Amino acid sequence: MLQLVVGQLLNGIIVGTLYAIIALGVTLTFGITGIVNFALGAFMMLGAYVTWYLTDGIGIPYPLAVALAVIFIALFGLVVDQALFRFTRNNLINGLIVSIGLISVIVAVVLMIWTTTPQNMHYVLPGVFRIGGVIVPRMKACVFVVLLLVILFTYGALTRTWAGRAAYAYAQNPEAAALMGVRTNVLQAGVAAYSAALAGLGGALYASLYSITPEIGSGYILKGVEAAILAGIGSVMGSFAGGIIIGVAEGVGSIFLPSAYNDAYGLVFLVLILLLKPAGLFAANR
Amino acid sequence: MKLLLLWIPLLFVPAVVHSNVVLTILIFTFILGILAVSFNLIFGFTGQLSLFHAAAFGLSAYATYLSMAHWGISFWLGALVGIVFVTLISIVIGAICFRFKLRELYFAIVTLAFSELARLVILNWNGFTNGSLGINFTLTPTVWVPGRGVIPVAGTLMWYYLSLAAVVLAVVFYTRIVHSWMGRCFASIRLNDELADTLGINVFRYKLISFVAGNIGAAVAGSLYAFYISYIDPNYFSLDQSLAIIAMALLGGREFVAAPIVGALVLTALPHVINVNAEARLLVYGLILILTILLMPRGIVGLAARRRRAA
Repeated sequence: MLQLVVGQLLNGIIVGTLYAIIALGVTLTFGITGIVNFALGAFMMLGAYVTWYLTDGIGIPYPLAVALAVIFIALFGLVVDQALFRFTRNNLINGLIVSIGLISVIVAVVLMIWTTTPQNMHYVLPGVFRIGGVIVPRMKACVFVVLLLVILFTYGALTRTWAGRAAYAYAQNPEAAALMGVRTNVLQAGVAAYSAALAGLGGALYASLYSITPEIGSGYILKGVEAAILAGIGSVMGSFAGGIIIGVAEGVGSIFLPSAYNDAYGLVFLVLILLLKPAGLFAANR
Repeated sequence: MKLLLLWIPLLFVPAVVHSNVVLTILIFTFILGILAVSFNLIFGFTGQLSLFHAAAFGLSAYATYLSMAHWGISFWLGALVGIVFVTLISIVIGAICFRFKLRELYFAIVTLAFSELARLVILNWNGFTNGSLGINFTLTPTVWVPGRGVIPVAGTLMWYYLSLAAVVLAVVFYTRIVHSWMGRCFASIRLNDELADTLGINVFRYKLISFVAGNIGAAVAGSLYAFYISYIDPNYFSLDQSLAIIAMALLGGREFVAAPIVGALVLTALPHVINVNAEARLLVYGLILILTILLMPRGIVGLAARRRRAA
């Protein structure tokens, strides 16, 4: 029993970091452009398909395929931002509807190219670690470490570099930041591309663990938004914690309840948090 | 009310047009039109993006069928069960959302969460709802026709008049609401709900009335739709369905009560006019959402109205 719980706990943490990487993109785009981009889930799905196609279809080594997929999704995110979201800045409802429309466009195109058949990538890194009876596949551990490093890097970049502080300043007071020499258009486009890159990375790593279908994006964006709101939108380490909380709840919860209800945990947490502590779990009490 | 006269020609359409395809498109337009018009009360007139509408539609469809199958009651009583059930659920969800003053994004996300929870329950309660396989049924509504007594609603012609009657009733109902004192309160909430509060409008009460009244329309549409196609499955709750509802309301126009019906007509007729598969339809829906928001935010009717005023 204990082994089962610990195993599901680790599983939950790993899935949770995947939620967290999407949540991070949601939080960053919302803070800087005032839009909740639901299409980040579709970007992630696209990243998974591109990675799978590059490795199993063309035969490029996996790490290179991941890098190419991330670059591709970042460029795609930049183009979409400049072509569509630029016109809905700070209009939340319009941005939401445009992003919902964008999801169905991306899903439809992927369906046309690759159909609904689930695709499985070959094992990139076979083998497992055994830690006292608990089995962790090497690839899962590897994905966790990469995502953790990226989240820490993002946190460091936001707090320690000029661009990061510019982003914080902009989120607090756009006009004052502009007067201090922050080039707001460049900042917004950059954040849109970076959030897309994060989603693309999530998808590229996801492809190595689970089978991919055109529907994976909708589940992950929902968890991502839940995680972002759970922790209080706008906080980097908060979205990390939010993702882990939802992932662990699902993992451990599936031991006691049918896994069909897995998607419900995040929703229940979200509703409770919004009702009881709308500023987010880690917001200071005021 | 003068605008109601515009509906009269629709009474004579079946006498002129004998094509079953055209009449079927119109039946779907009327039923989905009720759905879009009722959504627009919440979205267009009160300014709240509810993502619960597809769920209200689906819950009512299930409640209507299941109450008929288990209690042996008629369609009309079953539809009433559906409406009452959706009303109660909407009051609970609306009260939670509005008591805690959830706005914009948070309202959209929480209604989406409740909608997903409803879908999960319907999907996994296999013994009662037959899960993802859905239910095929043979029950039909019955009506009393002068001279012929109580007969089942069957065939395109009877469904045409039933759905036409329903959509006209819905338009009258929502027009009365929008043009009343309540409608003014909805508009003030849409424009600035803090100001509305300061002016002494009970924001909670009017948001709740709008949400419940809108969902009642979805419930009516759900019962009719389920019995027109004689099939229910959890796809009634899907995000695609919500997407289609938003697209209809936006495309038709948010400012007029009946305008979403135009959106429903375009989106229902489109797959028949240009013969496309399901993927292409998804693509077209998405593009319509994006392009309407960016290029034509007032919708087809809004655009036409501006043309007329300018001329």
